[in-house]
Amino acid sequence: MWKEIGDRESGKLRPNSFITRIRSNRVSSLQLSNHKEIVSPHRGAINSLQVDLTEGRYLLSGASDASLAVYDIQRATDYDGGGLIAKHKPILLVDKQHQNGHKFAISTAIWYPIDTGLFVTGSYDHHVNVWDTNTTQVVMDFKMPGKVYRTAMSSLATSHMLIATATEDVQVRLCDMASGAFSHTLSGHRDGIMAVEWSTSSEWVLVTGGCDGAIRLWDIRRAGCFSVLDQSHSQLGRRPPLLERSTTKVSTSKCSLPGQTSSAKARAPQRKGSSGSGSKHSGSSRILRHAKGSAKQRLHPGLLSSQDRATAHYGAVIGLKATEDGMYLLSAGSDSRLRLWDIQSGCNTLVHFEIVRLQSSKAIQLAVTQDSALVFVPCMTSVKAFDVWTGKASMTLHGHYEHVNCCWYGAHDQELYTGGNDRQILIWSPPKLISEDVDEGDRRTGQPLAVDQDNWSD
Amino acid sequence: MLDVPIYGRIATLELFRPHGETQDLLFIATERYKFCVLQWDADANEVITRAMGDVSDRIGRPTDNGQIGIIDPDCRLIGLHLYDGLFKVIPFDNKGQLKEAFNIRLEELQVLDIKFLYGCPKPTIVVLYQDNKDARHVKTYEVSLKDKDFVEGPWSQNNLDNGADLLIPVPPPFCGVLIIGEETIVYCSASAFKAIPIRPSITRAYGRVDADGSRYLLGDHSGLLHLLVIAHEKEKVTGLKIELLGETSIASTISYLDNAFVYVGSSYGDSQLIKLNLQPDAKGSYVEVLERYVNLGPIVDFCVVDLERQGQGQVVTCSGAYKDGSLRIVRNGIGINEQASVELQGIKGMWSLRSATDDLYDTFLVVSFISETRILAMNLEDELEETEIEGFCSQVQTLFCHDAVHNQLVQVTSSSVRLVSSTSRELRHEWHAPADYSINVATANATQVLLATRGGHLVYLEIGDGILIEKKHAQLKYDISCLDINPIGENPNFSNLAAVGMWTDISVRIFSLPDLNLITEEHLGGEIIPRSVLLCAFEGIPYLLCALGDGHLLNFLLNTTTGELTDRKKVSLGTQPITLRTFSSKNTTHVFAASDRPTVIYSSNKKLLYSNVNLKEVSHMCPFNSAAFPDSLAIAKEGELTIGTIDDIQKLHIRSIPLGEHARRICHQEQSRTFAICSLKYNQSSTEDSEMHFIRLLDDQTFEFISTYSLDQFEYGCSILSCSFSDDSNAYYCVGTAYVMPEENEPTKGRILVFMVEDGKLQLVAEKETKGAVYSLNAFNGKLLAAINQKIQLYKWMLRDDGTRELQSECGHHGHILALYVQTRGDFIVVGDLMKSISLLIYKHEEGAIEERARDYNANWMSAVEILDDDIYLGAENNFNLFTVRKNSEGATDEERGRLEVVGEYHLGEFVNRFRHGSLVMRLPDSDVGQIPTIIFGTVNGVIGVIASLPQDQYVFMEKLQTNLRKVIKGVGGLSHEQWRSFYSEKKTVDSRNFLDGDLIESFLDLGRSRMEEISKTMNVSVEELMKRVEELTRLH
Repeated sequence: MWKEIGDRESGKLRPNSFITRIRSNRVSSLQLSNHKEIVSPHRGAINSLQVDLTEGRYLLSGASDASLAVYDIQRATDYDGGGLIAKHKPILLVDKQHQNGHKFAISTAIWYPIDTGLFVTGSYDHHVNVWDTNTTQVVMDFKMPGKVYRTAMSSLATSHMLIATATEDVQVRLCDMASGAFSHTLSGHRDGIMAVEWSTSSEWVLVTGGCDGAIRLWDIRRAGCFSVLDQSHSQLGRRPPLLERSTTKVSTSKCSLPGQTSSAKARAPQRKGSSGSGSKHSGSSRILRHAKGSAKQRLHPGLLSSQDRATAHYGAVIGLKATEDGMYLLSAGSDSRLRLWDIQSGCNTLVHFEIVRLQSSKAIQLAVTQDSALVFVPCMTSVKAFDVWTGKASMTLHGHYEHVNCCWYGAHDQELYTGGNDRQILIWSPPKLISEDVDEGDRRTGQPLAVDQDNWSD
Repeated sequence: MLDVPIYGRIATLELFRPHGETQDLLFIATERYKFCVLQWDADANEVITRAMGDVSDRIGRPTDNGQIGIIDPDCRLIGLHLYDGLFKVIPFDNKGQLKEAFNIRLEELQVLDIKFLYGCPKPTIVVLYQDNKDARHVKTYEVSLKDKDFVEGPWSQNNLDNGADLLIPVPPPFCGVLIIGEETIVYCSASAFKAIPIRPSITRAYGRVDADGSRYLLGDHSGLLHLLVIAHEKEKVTGLKIELLGETSIASTISYLDNAFVYVGSSYGDSQLIKLNLQPDAKGSYVEVLERYVNLGPIVDFCVVDLERQGQGQVVTCSGAYKDGSLRIVRNGIGINEQASVELQGIKGMWSLRSATDDLYDTFLVVSFISETRILAMNLEDELEETEIEGFCSQVQTLFCHDAVHNQLVQVTSSSVRLVSSTSRELRHEWHAPADYSINVATANATQVLLATRGGHLVYLEIGDGILIEKKHAQLKYDISCLDINPIGENPNFSNLAAVGMWTDISVRIFSLPDLNLITEEHLGGEIIPRSVLLCAFEGIPYLLCALGDGHLLNFLLNTTTGELTDRKKVSLGTQPITLRTFSSKNTTHVFAASDRPTVIYSSNKKLLYSNVNLKEVSHMCPFNSAAFPDSLAIAKEGELTIGTIDDIQKLHIRSIPLGEHARRICHQEQSRTFAICSLKYNQSSTEDSEMHFIRLLDDQTFEFISTYSLDQFEYGCSILSCSFSDDSNAYYCVGTAYVMPEENEPTKGRILVFMVEDGKLQLVAEKETKGAVYSLNAFNGKLLAAINQKIQLYKWMLRDDGTRELQSECGHHGHILALYVQTRGDFIVVGDLMKSISLLIYKHEEGAIEERARDYNANWMSAVEILDDDIYLGAENNFNLFTVRKNSEGATDEERGRLEVVGEYHLGEFVNRFRHGSLVMRLPDSDVGQIPTIIFGTVNGVIGVIASLPQDQYVFMEKLQTNLRKVIKGVGGLSHEQWRSFYSEKKTVDSRNFLDGDLIESFLDLGRSRMEEISKTMNVSVEELMKRVEELTRLH
């Protein structure tokens, strides 16, 4: 790191490349933290984890025993192991005994994106609660038609305060914190909804994934969903046709240049690193797509029925995560597949993620690094990190004893927080060199550095 | 030369010429996604903004390899690559106007370079990119403006050199592109592929020599300049040839000007103007360096010292990189290099005289005292010796002396004007003042004498051959305080105008000569009389300067035909009366204002500038250009006459000490009068590049290496400090190092070395192994505080039984990612972390422990920290911002007390490597500005800046002025100053607060009178008051 610092200092390394390089170095060395621990008060599976988006300081967790807790992850409550291991106990804890507490499992707990004064929880008891952090009181309560699986708020939003909720019901409901009522009910899914995610490039675009295997994209200013992702639609490389471009003209011009189309395809897999794999169905599907595009123009709202039936996964969509640059979406399905979607074109990029098995019964929470290089996926009892562009597994983090449900990547410190059915919240961080401190003057506290976390790592 | 501020960091700069335009336009895009098109208006001598806009997107991640901005050679569109996966197109319409921009998806994620190809029917780009397997390829795309999309281009080329990093588009007739790699250069087009191997090098810059694109200059990372030739038969490329031309500074840009003249711009050394010779010189180099343009960047470290012990700081920087590494000594103000001096008390005036009218050099120096006049001259031994001019009256004070035509000299005393032959030195003629009218003030030039006597009489004499003729006489109402007839017209020996300063009514008057008619009268206002007036011309513009008895100087533009005075400006130079004198340096005339704060007045870009001279009080000055001391000045200081040469007339003086290696850290030790640096030398001669690291000791006067300590292999010097310890009066140099092993991500081992300077040699007296890189060292309570990787560690300096000393660790503090920058004050320790902003630690004496007191929870990636005062700390971070945080010790809760509150935010636009307390100007203890603390910073681009902590009321006033200036001064290219200075990072953009832009505020002084008045009206403060307060600010640097 001294070298990078030296290069930055003399202008050989751009400051932003410096950050990228240090971050990716650190992320690639993630291991069970040897200097930081979270003391979990939960007596049930951890279902949801989120660090606040403003300061990156407070971790919010929600668990199956209907408890929720907040931890200050920047400031330890006390130290262990001779002052070297920072313990983070909850600074706020709400459980079933609390007067406003949820009755059943909390499936989702998220911060209000603008400040840490509010947070939102959703539970199997059919309620979405909005909490005041300082008083620990529920300030708003939305009654949902079924179990709540996920909630989401847009971190970009400047003109709305909507909580998008995914529940057992087939409709997506948007709860408006400004009015305390439902502002939207989005219909389209044919089964319960497990995953919901706001776009990271537009405050109006919402993505939902259902047990019907569909991923739907909604523009909440308009009726109906404007796109349904289709796993078989994989011709990345061409952009959606232009409004003024007539179908016939395009198809003729493209068809008359077969060399061009095939070469256009050749560059699509460039990112995927597997060239030439998708060359079986070439020109025909292109034209089909153009036809679809123009049809979409005509039919919106309410898409062509064939398109409307498209699926993203064989099985339920159990997790969604948009990359921070707003260009890609990752989805996890109960078919044990992870897919990378190009949001603008709605294409399946066909990146093959080397996943063996995902748990299928529950929604999972994925995490992506800031530079969209790695995605962290709970894979049964471990968490795996995959290269987003090649799908290669770059790390497998073993630590939990039972299934992992959720992970959250803390971009501030390049730390990963994971929670699982074993009721533990684990911190994965770049290692700190704390082999030292057997220095003469420093023997005040003794050094029984029994690194007991080692128990976790196998 | 015109220089205009751009409110942004320029990311791309391209010249282009749309169809039908007679001149080129300049396209600029800034790193914060603003762009503008500028045009040069030769008539108005200014830059016009043709177009401007914003090209930021919500979508996409900013590119890692920097922004790319290119313009189609046929001016059909501008292409920008700002975000990974997106190519932004700004099309031109038929009239050359810009149309609405749109994005095209670019599948290549790791783009290294994009260029437009020449000679394509449709705009076509060539993209150099790297795939997931780190292989590099190029491919081409046609931009279809109608479809707003790419169409597959005419060709592509896979698996290039792994170091391919640069594309050079080749113009017609060949077209195609050159791909510059580290080991090969490839020419590629639809029809041809030619490659040649090259000596391994990283090419950083290129410049096209011929319009037909057959020859290119390539500059590499070690500063070697190559010529690349495209061999061809007619329009068919047959091969490539490369030839080494010679060595330059490490080029970051190369511009072939014309006729073998080339400008080499460098960010690691001085930029150069070179000439390429047809024949190699003795060393085989075709390169001849004609001129160097100073570049201080990158300033990786610096220290502020007062080597001359004058109370004025100088900055010594570690500048440059690789072979162009150097130390630079930066000094403000103009220095006088003393050649000779004599003790002489009570000097009342000085003039130099020549022994013949056409003599090149001055011979005599006339020094006047209250009751005598002495004449000094150079003798044969080049010594200044007292001599006599028989015709001069030496028993009385001389009022004025001058050379006159016909080998004559003029001396004016209170009773008479004497005309003396300079050859025979005998009196030729004398004009006597009437009995009761003694002469008060007088002035003369080669043919004229103007004098004023008691009672307001003005007498005008002309000098003939051996005769003084009284031409004209005028009676004025009041007594006259000062006079001048310095010729500024075409005739260098005769002036048509006379300037006269008056007692009582406090005015200056312009009289015409020889008829002595009053043509202008300008009342100065106030009660301070003018003490010295001067007619002079700078850069051909005539001015009248008028100095007052309280150290103020007024200047006016003078119309030489009408005598009209316009554009009055007032500046304060000192507090004592000023005497104005002209002198020449490098064939340009400047004015020396002698006072308690001597100043040189000169002109640059038709603007008067004032630069202080690094002398304390000066009572009189006269140029003395003798054969032994050419181009010298005689300066009368308190009790002393000095003869010395003057520096180049400019504000900052930079002396360069080339090291041939890269200095990384520097510090000065007062006791041993030495500097110590940590440096590294790149060894490129061997097959493998290796680095050698040294601790070098330099003499602080000669800057010669006097001692060197070589570090171990892989050991880097990371920090250096001069300090002493409690119970030990010796001064030591402490050096922190790191062992940087190729396989290790982060150093796990380092050393702290303690040296003493004995007989000019570095003696290692103690060393201590550490568990990581020692990023910072500070003297702390008579102990040594080191920042080692994530830990802050305190060491005691212990005396062992055998009398030797050692460092013993006392206590430490964890809790940082990397503690890179540390400053201390009392028991407080301020830490700048790699990525976790600033935290404040405190050392507890009783417990012997270091604890965290407070922290800023923002995620700032730090590049420097400094302590402004007990409560406020300054930080610089990775996105070119500055911010200040405040300790909140009165907070009600632990949470509040534990948080450093951000109080100031500002976008500097420069990457700061170091802050140091200090000042580049001499502080006058009696002035207000003398009390304002300042901090100097140094940046990667070589900028040295000053941050001053203003008192609250002054800040409020200046902020108001800044707000008003923003309305009046519009940024070039429509760029907003307010936006530019807003704190900008990945996560947020907020308005700047509690910081002011001194450059903007000082530009008030350059405004025209009407715009000044406009601001004065809105601020409800007089223009004079505004100017005075802004000028006070300029004194801070």
